[in-house]
Amino acid sequence: MSKPLLGVILGAVLGAIDGLTALFAGPEVAPMIVSIVIYSTIKGIIAGVIIGFVARKYHSLPLGIIVGGIVGLALAYLVAMFPDESGKHYYVEIMIPGTLVGLILGYATQKFGRHPSRQTA
Amino acid sequence: MTNLSDDQMRRLRDLVDAPDLSGTRYRIERRIAVGGMATVYLAYDEALNRNVALKILTLPDSGTDLAPRMLREAKIVAQLEHPGIVPIHDVGTLTDGRVYYTMKFVQGQTLEQQVASHANLNDRLRIFLRICDAVAFAHSRGVLHRDLKPSNIMVGAFGESLVMDWGVAANMREKWTSDSSEPRSSSKNPEPITQDGAVVGTPGYLSPEQASGVKGTIDYRSDIYGLGAVLYFVLTGRPPIPDQAVAVAIDRAIRGDFAPPRSLSNGIPRRLEAICLKALALRPEDRYASVNALSKDVGLYLDGEPVSARVEGPWEKVARWINKYQFIVIIALVYIIVRFFFLLWRGL
Amino acid sequence: MAPDHDISTGGAGGRFPATQYSAIMALRSGDQKERERALETVATVYWRPIYTHIRLRWKRETEEARDLTQGFFMQVLEKDFFATFDPQRARFRTFLRVCLDRFIQREDASSARQKRGGGVDHIPLDLVEIEKSLSGSATYPSPEDGFDREWVRSLLSLATIRLRAYCEESHRGMAYRAFERYDLDPSDSSARPTYATLAAELGTTSDDITNQLAFARREFRRIVLGLLREMTSSEEEFRDEARTLLGIDVT
Repeated sequence: MSKPLLGVILGAVLGAIDGLTALFAGPEVAPMIVSIVIYSTIKGIIAGVIIGFVARKYHSLPLGIIVGGIVGLALAYLVAMFPDESGKHYYVEIMIPGTLVGLILGYATQKFGRHPSRQTA
Repeated sequence: MTNLSDDQMRRLRDLVDAPDLSGTRYRIERRIAVGGMATVYLAYDEALNRNVALKILTLPDSGTDLAPRMLREAKIVAQLEHPGIVPIHDVGTLTDGRVYYTMKFVQGQTLEQQVASHANLNDRLRIFLRICDAVAFAHSRGVLHRDLKPSNIMVGAFGESLVMDWGVAANMREKWTSDSSEPRSSSKNPEPITQDGAVVGTPGYLSPEQASGVKGTIDYRSDIYGLGAVLYFVLTGRPPIPDQAVAVAIDRAIRGDFAPPRSLSNGIPRRLEAICLKALALRPEDRYASVNALSKDVGLYLDGEPVSARVEGPWEKVARWINKYQFIVIIALVYIIVRFFFLLWRGL
Repeated sequence: MAPDHDISTGGAGGRFPATQYSAIMALRSGDQKERERALETVATVYWRPIYTHIRLRWKRETEEARDLTQGFFMQVLEKDFFATFDPQRARFRTFLRVCLDRFIQREDASSARQKRGGGVDHIPLDLVEIEKSLSGSATYPSPEDGFDREWVRSLLSLATIRLRAYCEESHRGMAYRAFERYDLDPSDSSARPTYATLAAELGTTSDDITNQLAFARREFRRIVLGLLREMTSSEEEFRDEARTLLGIDVT
């Protein structure tokens, strides 16, 4: 499996799980959980694609982890910018877990997945 | 009689020891090391403009087997073209009758020095794997080293490992099958270079069969034992049988009497200890079947995978998995903690 | 490189071939004249270390040490001291030192010890030079070190005498003169003449000086090792003594 594809699949799974864990935030989240999970999954897929392509190009575990963290943080921020119906923002609750998911994606895409085969001269 | 001063005496001694390189293309720079039978110099090859290590018999051969042994050593090593085996450049006889050969001059440290200065176990194990590669290659060419020990292994400035001093190497008579990189069990005796009952090797790293000196019992598994002893050193910083009187060391080697690595340092992982002990098994048939099998197990350890030398219990498997995926485990734990924290925070 | 505790052995016995002359073995010959000849060689090499040992270990004054040195060699001949020497058990040098210590102890115990002389004084003991060395005996860490070092000094001195004789016999006198001027005489390496200077002194070319020196050094080495073989009785002992002679423990 290529690294970008691994990133997509893993990003989707972790995004979905991350979205589901929003239920821990409180009962007021429950009506919106489906949309939360969908958006979180999409966020995870986008993060996975970006991080996967970075891993495909640069084989460096520390770099992959740092890039994963930054991408996760950035995408989580974009999501957290949108307030809920009451106008409340959940920056911390969205960005910290999002960053952690990004770190995991960065690690996993560096460690696993197939390197592109080098072309011989 | 001429009364020589101390200074004259010193110069004359150096003169007696210094090789007469007239007629060769080499120039002595300095003495590097001295062994029982030969001296190694740093020399300059004036034809190729490079430094070489020049090994010379200390004394002219007087009808014993020293010169043939040294020539034999050079021939054996010359057949082994491998990045982990020191290459031989030239061989000859000096005008004073002493046999010599030249080889690559390796700048670096012995494994002894490397282990003392290198704290990282995984780095040391990677060096060990390169040593295994070299020895496995030699075995595939039918050559046993028979004196593997940390002082015979050099680690170069760029991390390259070279197995040195093949002075007691043996050439197996049995030919290897062409479609196998693994040596077959030998039904014939390896060609000995010592006489009956004479023990070859270094106390502290001798296999039981080498220590017993019985002709015909030494084969490639003795080198596996030697590698096990080197691994022991890599793990603990000392040989399995530390410096003792020769007779005591031989007796202990024959009985396989040495302390398990974890008794010296319980920070040594159990899987690594198991690998080391399997290589150091008393009976050759209980050791690894080949050097490749040994290096494979060490490689598996480095990859966080189960090793053949040890059957893991369920908790050990969990611990290994956690150790292997430490990063993910930690991040996942942090994630869970953060989520719980938010839950509590919300609750407040 | 394997350190000295490499235990590989060369096989059974390692004795010299029958044709290899050993003064040590000749000391046990049944032929009186052969024993005397062998003793002369041994005494030439060992009188200095024996004298030094008596002075440093037994703390005897010059005259008494001289007397004891002469007496020891006389006893060696009269009482066949070395008959019990077994090369399998010890080096000759070590054995000799033990014999010497026992001799001194017996002499001390005997109140009838007499001053020896007259007819026995055939071993020329040049005490002036050796006393000069001993006056700086702070350089000897121990009497044993003094014994070993004087042994090396005697061996090399005798070798230079034999080299000179050999060069003269083979009409290579120039080789010895070059060796003497370049390798033997200079007080230190910086005082060595250049090849050109030496060539001018000896009326030849620099290339010839190179060849002459190479010849002399080669022969010197051969003579030293030959002398060492005379002083030992087996191949193993020879190699051990070569290590001591060549200072092989010093890198």
